[in-house]
Amino acid sequence: MSSLLDKARLMMNIHCLGRNLVTASSSLHHVQLPGQKEAHFWYVLPDEIKDTNLLNQYFEILSPSEKENVFRMSGEQLKKRAILARALVRTTLARYQTNCQIDPKALRFKKNSYGKPEVDWQYTEDWSLPQLHFNLSHTSSLIACGVTVGSPIGIDVEEKQRRLKNDVLAFARRYFSPDEIEMLTQIADPELRRLELIKLWTLKEAYVKAVGKGFSNSPFNTFTVRLGHRTKTGIHLRPRVMSKAQEITVEPPDESKNVSGNWQFVLLELDGSHYAAICIEQESTNRGKGSIPVNLKLRKTIPFVEDECILGTEKAVVISGLTTLLECE
Amino acid sequence: MASFTATSISIISLAKPSLVPSARISSPNSVSLSIKGRRFPSITLQPTGRRFQVTCATKQETVQKVCDIVKKQLALPEGSSVTGESKFAALGADSLDTVEIVMGLEEEFGISVEEESAQSITTVQEAADMIDKLLESKTD
Repeated sequence: MSSLLDKARLMMNIHCLGRNLVTASSSLHHVQLPGQKEAHFWYVLPDEIKDTNLLNQYFEILSPSEKENVFRMSGEQLKKRAILARALVRTTLARYQTNCQIDPKALRFKKNSYGKPEVDWQYTEDWSLPQLHFNLSHTSSLIACGVTVGSPIGIDVEEKQRRLKNDVLAFARRYFSPDEIEMLTQIADPELRRLELIKLWTLKEAYVKAVGKGFSNSPFNTFTVRLGHRTKTGIHLRPRVMSKAQEITVEPPDESKNVSGNWQFVLLELDGSHYAAICIEQESTNRGKGSIPVNLKLRKTIPFVEDECILGTEKAVVISGLTTLLECE
Repeated sequence: MASFTATSISIISLAKPSLVPSARISSPNSVSLSIKGRRFPSITLQPTGRRFQVTCATKQETVQKVCDIVKKQLALPEGSSVTGESKFAALGADSLDTVEIVMGLEEEFGISVEEESAQSITTVQEAADMIDKLLESKTD
């Protein structure tokens, strides 16, 4: 009987939610977990969010310490950015439900021994997705959250127009590896050189954040990221089309594991205005079989309002890295 | 010529002996200077460690210089409040800003910052303390 089913569902929901029957998560569109070799990339554009009621809704799902942190930020723009960043993480993770409605406010976070933020599953009642990994990055104009299952993930976003206060080569000499400095020096045009530096920076950041041991354990000048031979990919990528861009590699490879770690990179250009780098760890069983592309689901979101699946139009161009842009369900 | 501010005295030695001030320490916390026979009001000093007041002035100057470098890097509007307690992140610095700030500090102070130290700096004061420590170890 349908009423029995309804009752069962209601009981399940009550059981899952604990105290709350009606939560903000009811307006969050729920999604499937990422599969193996799959990464989800969610991003929000702060300039699209002007409604103070919506911002208040976001603020309300934050934890007390996150709220305190928002107040510590200097100025309205930074406060807004801090709210959106935490709201993005919470609402994003809350979408990956099994059979419960998850309250984004119920999530607890902790830091690993190196300071990398992760979900504290111990305190999240009735919901156990311990293999869910995430990483956050933000600029003033774009905030992003990457999600994987079973693989560490690191992401970094940067505005293409980001100007360094220092000279590009001086900066590279201070922080990058000798091979990277050499590569940058070869680029004659200063603007192209600056863009290349930004790309390298996002990839290196994404790598260190994926490794999760902090910057002092992976100083930037101890590893080299190579973008490989870049072929210009078409602006219009049909769904499920393999990007023809070459693989991005890092050397020396991460030696913290018995088998040297195998990290995969994707570099995107978003909205024509940002570079986004994603780094995940390739399954050790796949090594030696040639590189398998990373499956990527890209979504632009305004949490509680709307989500948009980005399928490789002008909004997202894969610059480098073996990846397949997937349709979202 | 001796010059002094509210918190410090710096004594510069000059070629002309007659201009070298003679300082008489009348009590542990106050010093009176006489130059060319004119007496200057004695100045009460805050108790400090073994090092004379010069250390305090340097720290204040260091903090000020760090504030200036941070303001420049983050392109903060005029009149923005940046003090020793200011956290870089709260001012809007991301990781790229932070490493550029470190570069700026290295240039300004002629020091070299280790990755480990660079990572542990989160406020202006911490940066200033690290700089002063590095400067001290340079002169030791």
